[in-house]
Amino acid sequence: MSDTGNTTNAPGGTSDNTYNVPQDLCGGIFLFLIAAFFAWKAWPLPLGSLRAMGPGMLPMSIAAMVGIGGLVLALNGLRKGSLLQEKWHLRGPFFVLGGIVLFGLLIRTAGLAVAGPVSMVFASLATNEFRFKESVIFAVCMTAACIVLFKYLLGLPIPIFQFM
Amino acid sequence: MDLFNHLALGFGVAFTLKNIGLCFVGCMVGTLVGVLPGVGPIATIAMLLPITFGLEPVGALIMLAGIYYGAQYGGSTTAILVNIPGEATAVVTTLDGHQMAKQGRAGIALGIAAIGSFFAGCVATIFIAALGQPLTKLAQLFGPAEYFSLMVMGLVFSTVLARGSIFKAILMVLLGLLLATVGTDLETGQERMTMGIQSLSDGIDFTPLAMGIFGFAEIVRNLENPEARDVVRGKIGRLLPGWADIKQSIAPVLRGTFIGGILGILPGNGAVLGPFASYTVEKKLAKDPSRFGKGAIEGVAGPESANNAGAQTAFIPLLTLGIPPNAVMALMVGAMTIHGIIPGPQVMTKNPDLFWGMIASMWIGNLMLVIINLPMVGMWVKLLKVPYRLMFPAIGIFCCIGIYSINNSAEDVMFAAFFGLCGYVLLKFGFEPAPMLLGFVLGKLMEEKLRQALILSRGSFTTFIERPVSAGLLIVAAAMLCLALLPTFSKRREEVFTE
Repeated sequence: MSDTGNTTNAPGGTSDNTYNVPQDLCGGIFLFLIAAFFAWKAWPLPLGSLRAMGPGMLPMSIAAMVGIGGLVLALNGLRKGSLLQEKWHLRGPFFVLGGIVLFGLLIRTAGLAVAGPVSMVFASLATNEFRFKESVIFAVCMTAACIVLFKYLLGLPIPIFQFM
Repeated sequence: MDLFNHLALGFGVAFTLKNIGLCFVGCMVGTLVGVLPGVGPIATIAMLLPITFGLEPVGALIMLAGIYYGAQYGGSTTAILVNIPGEATAVVTTLDGHQMAKQGRAGIALGIAAIGSFFAGCVATIFIAALGQPLTKLAQLFGPAEYFSLMVMGLVFSTVLARGSIFKAILMVLLGLLLATVGTDLETGQERMTMGIQSLSDGIDFTPLAMGIFGFAEIVRNLENPEARDVVRGKIGRLLPGWADIKQSIAPVLRGTFIGGILGILPGNGAVLGPFASYTVEKKLAKDPSRFGKGAIEGVAGPESANNAGAQTAFIPLLTLGIPPNAVMALMVGAMTIHGIIPGPQVMTKNPDLFWGMIASMWIGNLMLVIINLPMVGMWVKLLKVPYRLMFPAIGIFCCIGIYSINNSAEDVMFAAFFGLCGYVLLKFGFEPAPMLLGFVLGKLMEEKLRQALILSRGSFTTFIERPVSAGLLIVAAAMLCLALLPTFSKRREEVFTE
């Protein structure tokens, strides 16, 4: 387990010592929570025996491994560092992923002709270089191109206009 | 000569006007999308998968192979012109390729990359054709225990080859395995952890997961490092390398092809290692190592050949054993399944025209790359000058349409957004997503084989050690892991990945 507190693995290649250690604390807790959630969901499933495994055997044992590993990572992080120092941004994830959710909500209810521009303009808000007019024109043109390409040239069954 | 008969059959299938046309279109759109910064082969294939739906299986696979090579080559193009690797295997190309571009030799860098890749592709095609049959025979000797151990070895490799802490990579593999257990249990038919969501009863879909983690999370991350792009302003220059350049590149191309081809066969994404290994070798062998990093042509020729050879031999575990060695190949499994083909040893015997046709089309795909890409470099450069604030919503919408079209499911789009969020969080915590994806890919098959093996051995784990092949595979895995954890080696490993 000597590798646990290893540094130089921040995605940017930063090899700053204080940078990565707190990452481990929160990352470990995060993994532990995921594992706990899975274990909770897998609880009612019969475990079976090694000779004839039940449906719950593997989910439970893997969740246990992930959970324990997460705890080890977190404790190791705690031993070495203090607060989370990696910069978290809200704007990027919110608008980019929000745009995708909008697409998912609108594609069936309103069709690509609406879902395309709406989700693209919304996603464009993720940068501070956002320019309204440019973004709208670009989104409309791209959507038109997509409709021609996917609907008419390739014949995919995508709803274009749908009125409730 | 069986080999030549088979290849002749393959070329007979692939060399129709329609199939060549499909290969051409595949290569072109593959490159077009692959050139976009931050869009690797996984996102490209997932995005373009729906366009093959209307075709018959052989044509669809030929087109997909074209898309795959196009996406690979597109990644190298961005590496050379913009200094952004389209994917992990192109990282090395940025070192000398981009320097060459800065010195006004972008054209030659692209040219030698294409020629080296073409050569590597030719060799790898023959390699696959020659190795396909014996390996398929070997696969028939594999029982569940051997399959399980082989996959364990693959996963161990993937953790050793991942960037950063091995412990974290192992946790990611386990997380991937955990995600793979969602869905209906194979033997009892009981639903596991589906939370009452209908579409989860078949398990989590691979495409939304891969797109979320590699597509959307990547966009978000790119937005945080604004405009690190460095598009070459000067001229692209001559495309065809001169005699002096070629002479300098012959040996690196040969060595790169060899290294990449061998590493590519390893389960667990060995192909990633090829370019790194080739670069290191070239640097060691060079008379003047200080030229490396300053635009040495060997530093482009070797790794690019290794890259392409590995990209191609990675098909071997998939076609012979039915085990996808990396996430891209897992997507290929998905694509093949959509067209009614289950990859594995039976493909070769049941659909020989498809199997050999696809191998022949790999070669054609490589040829296409040389033919179409070199004249079109100017267009890629123009495309790369589009500002990212316009590019990323466009990438997003293409991804959305792609995900939606695979199952005509709006829910899949939502899942992808959710996984995008998870991927972003994991990246922020310093977890590498690639091992997780491989764990997820192999999870279902591993569980099946584990349970079968334990039923056969009546619940005793010693079966994995008592059977010689299985034991051998596990020993290799354990040895790799120990080696990687040794202090001296882990330092080297860090150097390789941060270089």
